[in-house]
Amino acid sequence: MTTEAAILAEGLEKTFHDPQRGTVEAVKGLDLECRSGEIYGLLGPNGAGKTTTLRMLATILAPTGGRATVAGVDVATDPLGVRRNIGFLSGSTGLYPRLTARETLTYFGELHGLAGDALRTRVDELIEIFSIGSYADGRCEGLSTGQRQRVSIARAVVHDPKVLILDEPTTGLDIMASSDMIDFIDSRRAAGRCVLFSTHVLSEAERLCDRIGVIYSGRMLAVGTLDELRERTGESWLEDVFKALVREAEPSA
Amino acid sequence: MEPPPPPARAASSRFGAALRVARKELVSSLRDRQTVIYTFVLPICMYPVLFWVMLQGFLVVQGQKERTETRVGVAAVAQDAIPAGLTNALAPPSHGDTQTNPVQVEVAAAPHDTGGARAWVASQGDEADAERPHAVLFLPGPDADAQLFFDSTESKSVLARERVAGRLPGFATKLRSEAATAASVDPLELDPIELRSNNVAPKSDSGALILSMLLPMLLVIMSVMGAFFPAVDLTAGEKERGTAETTMLLPVPRAAVHEGKVLAVCATAVVATFLNLIALGFSAENLIGLLARSAQFEVKLPVLALFAVAPLALLFSFFVAAVLTSAAGLANSFKEGQAMLGPVQLVFILPAMIGAVPGIDLDLRWALVPIANVVLAFRAMLLGKELYLEYAVTAVALFVYAILATRFAVLLLSRESVALSSSTIPLKRLFSTLRSSGDTQ
Repeated sequence: MTTEAAILAEGLEKTFHDPQRGTVEAVKGLDLECRSGEIYGLLGPNGAGKTTTLRMLATILAPTGGRATVAGVDVATDPLGVRRNIGFLSGSTGLYPRLTARETLTYFGELHGLAGDALRTRVDELIEIFSIGSYADGRCEGLSTGQRQRVSIARAVVHDPKVLILDEPTTGLDIMASSDMIDFIDSRRAAGRCVLFSTHVLSEAERLCDRIGVIYSGRMLAVGTLDELRERTGESWLEDVFKALVREAEPSA
Repeated sequence: MEPPPPPARAASSRFGAALRVARKELVSSLRDRQTVIYTFVLPICMYPVLFWVMLQGFLVVQGQKERTETRVGVAAVAQDAIPAGLTNALAPPSHGDTQTNPVQVEVAAAPHDTGGARAWVASQGDEADAERPHAVLFLPGPDADAQLFFDSTESKSVLARERVAGRLPGFATKLRSEAATAASVDPLELDPIELRSNNVAPKSDSGALILSMLLPMLLVIMSVMGAFFPAVDLTAGEKERGTAETTMLLPVPRAAVHEGKVLAVCATAVVATFLNLIALGFSAENLIGLLARSAQFEVKLPVLALFAVAPLALLFSFFVAAVLTSAAGLANSFKEGQAMLGPVQLVFILPAMIGAVPGIDLDLRWALVPIANVVLAFRAMLLGKELYLEYAVTAVALFVYAILATRFAVLLLSRESVALSSSTIPLKRLFSTLRSSGDTQ
């Protein structure tokens, strides 16, 4: 593992205006550092601010305060530069249903600057690596959930990004598809890439993460290796560690 | 672990990126059944079906016409100028129970001049003059042609004219023969008796007038219809399919993404508009011609006008595409997008009716008014008017409006609250949405 910060957020904030709820502070001054060759798990309950944080880092949302860099590029001043260096995947990054898997990969490869033989070679490689070959020329709308997941992953890494941001990547997947996803995340660490992913499946975090950040109510409660968090809370199971940190932040919780 | 990709080329230009997005959106859009139907199938099939129905209707109307009674007045500068037997010639006795094409002839009790004969024709919709003739045959004397006054805008008057024009030549030939026999000369040595028709309705080319009222409105409607489904599909449809976030991750400027969408919508609108006009042209040539021969109006396919209007139609489609894409972007599902665009398309279609309003013509002021300008310009082209300055101003104005509308579309669709909204944003919240923070780039 290297110590280079692939993702750095300092005092990151996001405030929305919701017609029903008024002003909503989704993320309140969040600090985060994720290094190259590291898998960083963002843990938190629903509504904690995980998705908003990841969306800001992926430039889908613009921060309303603080600053963040991804692969050394500032998300506020050069969002396009950030998008060229990341692969992002979430439950809501669907595939274009009327394009085939091959067309999807070609489209994203093209927009990432690949062309001609280089593009065709890269697409063929991804089709082989992710075992997409048997359905590469069928429209995505006809693929099973697991098949779509493979195409989505291939789509996210078509440009071999330095940073992968995954928002609850196993949600809705069956056991086999989840297992494929976990293997894929593990492989990214071996490739020296930075992976930041959110989850509320604690077993995934225990198995994969080099470090874990616990986020609650828009704030980062604690960051560390699993052992460090255990030591801090005096609990041995991650579930208990998590509950202890939440209680510490909000005694009534 | 997969091998790393080959080194990428330098990032493409924004326009190149927009074109790539447009190409993908077009491929995606043209795989949507509704888009294909509205862009290709409807334009190709609609007019043949429409004109076939019109032809059937015409045959029914023809049958009714043969049973319709018309009144024809006969007037002359002097009572003795009315030849004997004229009444019978115009209203021959029936040879069965039902008389076809019946005519009731009324001879004027007193001499008339041309103005009096013209004024005697019943005017359209004038119920108070129910007994006045639908057409008047005026005989100005032995040295002048007979004149027939009728009103082309009144169906019975047109019918009366047809019947007089059909029956009078036989009677005139008979008169000529009798006169030749009396004078012991060859009938061909005598001047033939001619009948001149005078339309008392305002002078205008009825066929061109009809086309000039119909086609400009059609151009607007077809452009809007062509843009309708792609606009919804590429915005609200994308949110419904869960691919909006995927599109936001494209490594190109967001402006290029939205411009690409507008270009794709514009392309389908243009294709639909021109296919409609071309299909209309072919159908009109083959089917409207059948109607025109009997209907006393001449329909001439305005090929030159269709070519001349092409640049304006292209710019107008660009403008329509940008407006419809903006509006549909506020919706959160395909169904809501369709509902959202319902009133928006009326904003285009209702002003298009200006083409049918008499007394409004293209001038420099109208050339600046969106929608009205393209309609009035096309109408003027169909009527053969050479308003080159006004056409140029119309083109410039449409281009400016299209650019402004595209800028607006990019501005609106780039708002986080629009791009990632979990519910449809009502039109009344449009401006507060634009003022809200969170512009994604």
